[in-house]
Amino acid sequence: MSNADKRVSAEVAGLAGAVERVAVDLAIGEEPAGFVVALEGDVKSAEPRD
Amino acid sequence: MTDWTIQALGRAIAARKISPVEATQACLDRVARHDGRIRAFIRVDAEGALAAARTLEAELAAGRSRGPLHGVPLAYKDLCCVPGLPTSCGTRTSDYFTSPIECTATARLRDAGAITLGKLNMTELAMGPFGDNAHHGDVQNPWKPGHCSGGSSSGSGAAVAGGFALGALGSDTGGSIRLPAACCGVVGLKPTYGRVSRAGVMPLSWSMDHLGPLTRTVADAALLLEIVAGHDPHDATSSRRGVPYYQRTLDGPIAGLRVGVPENFYFDGVTPDVDAAVRTAADVLAGLGASVAPIRVPDPRTLADIGNVISRSESAVLHERLARDRPHELQPAVRARLEIGFHISAHDYLQALRLRSRLAREFLAEVFAEVDALLAPVIPEPAPALETAKSGSVDDVVARMGRFSRLTRPFNTLGLPALAVPCGFSGDGRPLALQIVGRAFDEATILRLGHAYQTATSWNHEGPRL
Repeated sequence: MSNADKRVSAEVAGLAGAVERVAVDLAIGEEPAGFVVALEGDVKSAEPRD
Repeated sequence: MTDWTIQALGRAIAARKISPVEATQACLDRVARHDGRIRAFIRVDAEGALAAARTLEAELAAGRSRGPLHGVPLAYKDLCCVPGLPTSCGTRTSDYFTSPIECTATARLRDAGAITLGKLNMTELAMGPFGDNAHHGDVQNPWKPGHCSGGSSSGSGAAVAGGFALGALGSDTGGSIRLPAACCGVVGLKPTYGRVSRAGVMPLSWSMDHLGPLTRTVADAALLLEIVAGHDPHDATSSRRGVPYYQRTLDGPIAGLRVGVPENFYFDGVTPDVDAAVRTAADVLAGLGASVAPIRVPDPRTLADIGNVISRSESAVLHERLARDRPHELQPAVRARLEIGFHISAHDYLQALRLRSRLAREFLAEVFAEVDALLAPVIPEPAPALETAKSGSVDDVVARMGRFSRLTRPFNTLGLPALAVPCGFSGDGRPLALQIVGRAFDEATILRLGHAYQTATSWNHEGPRL
């Protein structure tokens, strides 16, 4: 395995590990669109003009 | 004139003290004199800019004004599709990105009277925080030649700092507006995800990309945001939320606003001059009546990792053809970063997207129950020397890229608005900067804080001597 391949493998494994660590108790109902819902629901901003 | 603000030039043009043609010619002259060395532009459109200026001048003569941007020369990162100009995205291919529609943001600015000077240099494919580019030249820091301009919107930062354009647009997937703004001593605003349409802009990661202004002052950033923000049917991710009149609330009091200074992560390993400048800025805001207090924030490393899974996966898909068919055209570090995305599993990508939802919800609930804004550094050190940034193995460079952008990336994962504002200089004259982060869609508050800080200080009063 080349150095480049080793680096890619190590980085991908690191990212996969990060996902696995925090996803352990992820709710079944959690979906990607929840991100936009979270942003749109977080309102305390200046008065809209339109 | 080239060291004026957009607001000042707009007023002078409206008062017929200077004409759009004179303003445009002054910028073009400055570019011709200095940009051979700075390398902020990939393409200057002198002919198109002067033609637009003559049209706008005729409109004024006929008593018609399009508003505060009428006749103001701007320039755009070379990933915005502007009719008549190729879009290289910093690659070797001059027309790498084509789009059936023009960039909505630049079209809105043009309709508001802005003049397009040309397309600005950038890191190849917007992948890199230093501003080096093997195809179009490394963008030099106008304050300190031989040093990084920051990236990936390197030309945007340098063009505004150097007085080549009164303002610019950049894009930000991991810090690419805020990093060059910080390195070049100008203001950079990454708006909330969905606040500004990305239609007609080369995507790097559709979940993490943001488009926003770089300007000399916070007030100018507010002006440009007011024009480019708002729903766009060409961008499904653009919010339908109404756009406030940001300029009207800029001068509002900041007394009582709660500003949190993170006690974990954001000051770890930053150089003493950066640490001191940002903490002094916090004192300035406290002196203006803001309630400044330390706060512990959810682990930003997790946010950065989750963001990396998403952005690496998406960028590999988007730029697969170049990476697979013509890898030799890509700079080694860019190729190495793209390669990661080909090996991330669909499982991990989708889990990361689901995690992002939860992490954003938790961050908003925990942090913004306590504060109205966060204050942190943008860059962990003043702009490094270009040779230092590029030195060593590909692994060295990639690792260095990650360290340099570690303070900005978490807010791309969160999609929150973040404003970079100059807050001093290192002992050898390199700009320092603070980052103000707000609630989703609350650009008004971070602009107000940034404007109050800029009004109370003088870091933006003088530009670099080229």
